[in-house]
Amino acid sequence: MSEPETTPLVVASGLRKTFRLGARETLVALDDVSLEIRRGETFGLVGESGSGKSTVSRALLGLLPLDAGSVQFDGLEVTRLKGGELRRLRKRMQMVFQDPFAALNRRQSVAQIVAAPLEAHGIGDRASRAARVEEMLDLVGLGPAYRERRPREMSGGQCQRVAIARALALDPELVVLDESVSALDVSIQAQVLNLLGELQQRLGLTYLFISHDLAVVRYMASTVAVMQRGSIVERGSREQLFRSAQHEYTRQLMSAIPAVDPTAERARRRAARTEAGVSSGG
Amino acid sequence: MASPASLSLAGRFGGRRRRVPRRGSGTTIAAIAVLAAIVLLCAIGPLFAADPGALDNANRFAGPSAANWFGTDQLGRDLFARMVAGGRISLGIAAGATVVSMLLGALWGFTAALARGIFDELLMRLADVTMAIPQLLFALVFVAAFGATTAGLALIIGVLLTPVTARMIRSAVLTELQSDYTQAAVAYGASRWRLVLREILPNVSAPLGVQASINAANAIILEAALSFVGLGVQPPDASWGTLLQQGYQKIYQSTSGVIIPALAIFLTIWMLNLLADQLGGTDDVRGRTG
Repeated sequence: MSEPETTPLVVASGLRKTFRLGARETLVALDDVSLEIRRGETFGLVGESGSGKSTVSRALLGLLPLDAGSVQFDGLEVTRLKGGELRRLRKRMQMVFQDPFAALNRRQSVAQIVAAPLEAHGIGDRASRAARVEEMLDLVGLGPAYRERRPREMSGGQCQRVAIARALALDPELVVLDESVSALDVSIQAQVLNLLGELQQRLGLTYLFISHDLAVVRYMASTVAVMQRGSIVERGSREQLFRSAQHEYTRQLMSAIPAVDPTAERARRRAARTEAGVSSGG
Repeated sequence: MASPASLSLAGRFGGRRRRVPRRGSGTTIAAIAVLAAIVLLCAIGPLFAADPGALDNANRFAGPSAANWFGTDQLGRDLFARMVAGGRISLGIAAGATVVSMLLGALWGFTAALARGIFDELLMRLADVTMAIPQLLFALVFVAAFGATTAGLALIIGVLLTPVTARMIRSAVLTELQSDYTQAAVAYGASRWRLVLREILPNVSAPLGVQASINAANAIILEAALSFVGLGVQPPDASWGTLLQQGYQKIYQSTSGVIIPALAIFLTIWMLNLLADQLGGTDDVRGRTG
């Protein structure tokens, strides 16, 4: 699936988006952003809040009209598709949001939520959809007992599992995980991250993994791009980036990774700083 | 999944949160019970009440008695029977007006919210213009134009309440349109109709319920006001507003002719407002535990 010679699943080039804040004020959310996501990989996108990460994800999914730029999904120009064509393409790319409670319709049961994408695309009949819901819930580690639960009757981690089940129900190729574990407790985060990794292996998924948390990105992503104020300032393989970050901003982000043992970490960081001062790498 | 400490904390928070709607739900039930009793009385009243039109010249302005629970009016008609008959008209008009205003308002509000841009602007400025003119003045024009039949009054009052309703529904829909779950629905490829009917409509049902009970209360007031100035329900039919006006004319002969219709109007509106309050209050606790 992930042979290097196959064409990338997503090719975005020259994305530009400006938001009008007031009569005179504008915000450049995307400034000439280009990226490629290869099939089967996890592409990590990091940056502080407001750096344009989510804008990128929405642009890739065709949820946001762009000022300029092109997004190709498996050779199809997303920015030019409209109406029914765009809806059909959306079957192939799904999204998991940050706030698991807000992303689920609070009036619907888990079964209804997971079946909704199938219904929207007219896939299967009632019975086959119910079977698919069961299969999906099983896949994300929720038993059939959860079918009739409402979002407010579940924990954040459980809600996020439901959101993942919904995203996978259509058998997509690309899943955008927009800060999908940021709102969860650290122990639940690990569970969900492991689940996501496992699902990627089993289903051959491609992930766009967006986070402000470098530790999490380091754990998940094979390729990482760092965003700051609407531009990608640095990119590379995980090893490359975490071993020898070139850009000042990337280093700042890295030093913000919290440590398990603060004393040891302080010592490590002091050492790293002196080392970086000597050889700008290491 | 969670440590025992966080579990007990969640439990405590959950308990505190749950108590808010529970305390309110007693009021909700009381309000619904009183309203149901009023409606039921008006519905089955004619089975045991006297004929509201029967004259009894020997028994004019009688006080409350076993035969005439609320006493009689200037023509000896049984006030209880008249209240029951009047309630059917008042509540019927209120119900009709509420349905009309909610349907038209939903259409107007949803269209504006989904259209955005210039069309939205047009629809909302139109709402502003109509809201700037006093409702009673508008009602006078409509009644003069279309006459004061019961169905006509329901329609007129319903139309009068539509702009406010549309404005409220628009803002409720706009809030939902910005939420993550509608974004998610767009992302998985939901059509516009699906988005509106399956995702947004169920989530605005609480504000819709609030607006419906406010509209019902306003419809009762408007109808009573119109009938009081003689432009509403016409004799021999009588709504609570008509009864209030007739009682007011004979206030020196009998005070019950004023007090009883006024109390009925007051009680109904109070309960509807209470209900609106409760519906609005409890939904703000959007179950978030964890």
